[in-house]
Amino acid sequence: MLFPTLAFGVFFLFVYFTSWSLDRENGRRKLFLLLASWFFYAQWDWRFVALLIASAVLNWGVAALIARQPGAKKAWLVGLGVAVNLLILGFFKYYGFFIEQAAELLMRFGWERDLPLLEIVLPVGISFFTFQGISYVVDVHRGKTPPAKSLVDVMLLMSFFPHLVAGPIVRASDLLPQFDRTPRLTRAMATHGVLLIVWGLFKKTVIASELSVNLVDPVFFDPSAYSAFDIAAATYAYAVQIYCDFSAYSDMAIGLAALLGYSFPRNFDQPYRASSMQAFWRRWHISLSSWLRDYLYVPLGGGRKGLVSSCINVFITMVLGGLWHGAAWTFLAWGALHGGVQVIERLGRAAFGDRRVVPTVVGVLVTFHIVCLGWILFRAESFDLAMQMLAGLGRIGPVVALTPLLLTLIVGGLAMHWLPPRAIEGVAERLKAAPSLTLGLLVGAAILMVEAVRPEGVAPFIYFQF
Amino acid sequence: MTDEREPPEIPLEPFPVHERESPFPPLAESLPPPVDPRSDWIQAADAHDLPTRENALIALGRFAFPPAPPLDDEGVAARDRRWTSRTVVVAAVFLLVFNAVSPLNWSRQQAPGWVQGTVQQLSEVWVAQLAVFGVDMPRQGVRETWTAARDARFAGQEPASATP
Repeated sequence: MLFPTLAFGVFFLFVYFTSWSLDRENGRRKLFLLLASWFFYAQWDWRFVALLIASAVLNWGVAALIARQPGAKKAWLVGLGVAVNLLILGFFKYYGFFIEQAAELLMRFGWERDLPLLEIVLPVGISFFTFQGISYVVDVHRGKTPPAKSLVDVMLLMSFFPHLVAGPIVRASDLLPQFDRTPRLTRAMATHGVLLIVWGLFKKTVIASELSVNLVDPVFFDPSAYSAFDIAAATYAYAVQIYCDFSAYSDMAIGLAALLGYSFPRNFDQPYRASSMQAFWRRWHISLSSWLRDYLYVPLGGGRKGLVSSCINVFITMVLGGLWHGAAWTFLAWGALHGGVQVIERLGRAAFGDRRVVPTVVGVLVTFHIVCLGWILFRAESFDLAMQMLAGLGRIGPVVALTPLLLTLIVGGLAMHWLPPRAIEGVAERLKAAPSLTLGLLVGAAILMVEAVRPEGVAPFIYFQF
Repeated sequence: MTDEREPPEIPLEPFPVHERESPFPPLAESLPPPVDPRSDWIQAADAHDLPTRENALIALGRFAFPPAPPLDDEGVAARDRRWTSRTVVVAAVFLLVFNAVSPLNWSRQQAPGWVQGTVQQLSEVWVAQLAVFGVDMPRQGVRETWTAARDARFAGQEPASATP
């Protein structure tokens, strides 16, 4: 059940009215939201609801034990909790990849073996709810958040349908306190939420879908059939597509949660206006980058042991961040590219200090093009296709795939990064005083216009596969 | 010698007879009878000098009964929730009326059945009615403009139908 579909619209209306009718009974309200979330998840594969429940029970139990145990035993328990979470993730997501690599390696040494290959279906959103589980256990261990008051709270934390399948990764310290009492819904929250939903709908179903179907997919499928201009356009188009796709999901998730009275952290902040790779990761998928910082980079040692150590740690963090996106060498290369550039930036800062060596405009352009280079690795099915894309950038030929509309969408998608920061919040602040009839008609008309121009059907969000 | 007056002496013999001031309000019988205010007091009174609006309204006596106290947080939250629900309902009804194509498309993607058949028939009738009244023209207009923009090509490019 995808957000921009009629079925989800009907589902959400039911959840919205039922949950607010239970506002005097916070316990029942949470139970209802939990059941609704499981129903939502079961639309993909009902068997994986059991996995979701098992994962929540595991994390709840480990956190409760950590809270009761003294001293050294806590470290063992937190290690156990993290290891089991990673085992679950590793089995479903990386088993096939590692077995294939192992078989290939053995074959090279002449030790060919029939390794047990399994057709494992990847549960949608497993990377997200596993990371949430890990953060909950570690935060309880660190004393950043108290253990949840009930199992239902932990289950709802991990299963809450707005963020379940593609984030943002909402930490226990952000959401558990909100579960303690029936949430309040203010006009500002509601207006902001509704605007985010409409804006997300537009970005996903109009910009991302149009670019994907008519430019990105054909060019990345067979780069040899296109000239340099089309390949460059497809690369920029993919940069816009992935931003509009993923940020749209986050926007809609934040908006849906807001209408149910809950507040999620911001996940994107105009990433393509970053003037360095470090700044890019402070603006792109913020909930993942901050997760990697707090639960991987800092435990590795962070920047506490000097420049060399910090460079190694950031590189390892980014490579593992790449692996988190998928079990493929292209993702590892993508992570290594981002890690390598951040290492260079750190060395540059160590050499030149904080003084600005290049103008901001140059920094933004260079960073954007490195990010685009990374997107080629990220999007290409294999290294061969990625190399074909790069080689095609030198091929002269006619423009076949790029059209005026697609060019407009690419420029528009990039231009939205130069809108005033927090523009949606500004509009919401003005609209919150409007009568409900006016706002309802405006929202209805906006969705009608989006529906009029969107292509038939909806492609799944890119981040569903992660 | 001093100009200050000496405190009055409290007789101590044989027992203390000084009565301390009672902490309780005086009995009604001991109070002087109430005096009616001047008939023009209301014209002379200034509501802005009174501490709150409600006090002013009560004091000025312009209402038959005192106004309700201001909304507490719970009341404000309930009001905002009703406002949001109305917004959601208006948007949903608007889309149900003017975007009947969406349920029609949905019903065409479902396996045949009673629900699917009913939704499809209702949607088809409703879409036809909208077309009769011309209410679908804004949607159609936007769609045609968008399709024309999609089919547009740069100078020298092959037309849309010939593009792979």
